[in-house]
Amino acid sequence: MRRFVALLGLVWSLANLGVAYFFLTSAFVAKTAAKEGILAQLSLLLGGVLIAGFAVLLARECLRMLTAAAASEPA
Amino acid sequence: MRIVTWLLVIAGLVLVGVGVAAAIGQASSGAQPWGNELSDNFTFVKALPFVLGFGVAVGLLMARTYGAKVRSDGAVRRWSPGTVFGHWVLTLGFVLALPTGMWQYLGGILDVNLPIPLYLFYRVHYIGASIVLFAVAAFVSYLSMTGDRSLLVPRGEWGRHLLGLAYELPPSLRGRYAKLLRIDLRQPRPPAGKFTFYEKVVEFPSWSIVLALITITGLIKAGRYVVPVPGFVLWLASTLHVAAMVIIVIKLLDHLRYTFPRWSLMGAITTTWMKERAPAVGHGAGERGSSAAGIAGGGDT
Repeated sequence: MRRFVALLGLVWSLANLGVAYFFLTSAFVAKTAAKEGILAQLSLLLGGVLIAGFAVLLARECLRMLTAAAASEPA
Repeated sequence: MRIVTWLLVIAGLVLVGVGVAAAIGQASSGAQPWGNELSDNFTFVKALPFVLGFGVAVGLLMARTYGAKVRSDGAVRRWSPGTVFGHWVLTLGFVLALPTGMWQYLGGILDVNLPIPLYLFYRVHYIGASIVLFAVAAFVSYLSMTGDRSLLVPRGEWGRHLLGLAYELPPSLRGRYAKLLRIDLRQPRPPAGKFTFYEKVVEFPSWSIVLALITITGLIKAGRYVVPVPGFVLWLASTLHVAAMVIIVIKLLDHLRYTFPRWSLMGAITTTWMKERAPAVGHGAGERGSSAAGIAGGGDT
């Protein structure tokens, strides 16, 4: 069960890394600057950094769970 | 009394069914010049009073399951069955509303369209939002009926809770946090109760605020075709709705990061029971440490 939950968590964190990538790249394109303005660019930048940071932390926990589950299995 | 609660729930369910059917019937009759998105918006707004009322009725039923219990093996009931039910309903709502809401926002920012029509994203978003609103109404009703305030920091207890939180933070953050809030770390670590200091100081208050924010702003946005909303208010509500969505995405990642390694918390939110009083951090079959061990071995949070 723990392994399954860890895998789901890993998938979720990877999906969120994708979201963070779009946030971060959108913060630097001219279209966003023209359409949304500097505040939206800053929000996308901050949001992207925070989402990426927390997604990495979750991925790290999930990988720990997976390795611990593998280590506890009988040889 | 229990039979009355059940009757209220059944009546609420019937009323939701009738209300939603009537709203869908009107929207799909062709009598109104509405497109798919607008039809769904009207159906959502008209169904909301029924959904909220049903949520209140279910909250009364959830309150019937409230009460401290201890099993013969020493396990304590951490959550009532009503809370566990509400938590998973809320999770289902987020699973539907969060990705669809994110796509509505990102699609506009990236200026791309998927082969799937946009109104279908909105439709799923409205279904998810209805489930979230149902859960929020149920929790408000549940908390008002039970009077449970165990996840709130009691008046005059903030100092103790902020100190307790300091000891649950990783050592790399602890010093800076203590300096910022002028917390004296020479004081001993206060004992945590059924809930950790992180849950009481950070998790519960922030979830409550962000849920209130996304609910109120979502209601303003959804109700704009029914009640006139000034342009500035609508702009503010839309901006804050997106901000709340991003905060929820971050909070969800943090929530999973916090609960996954504390497997007893995962067990408690499924079975309602927890064997140890304070959740321990651990991976794999053996637990790595306890709340107390967190002081020596690093933070708990």
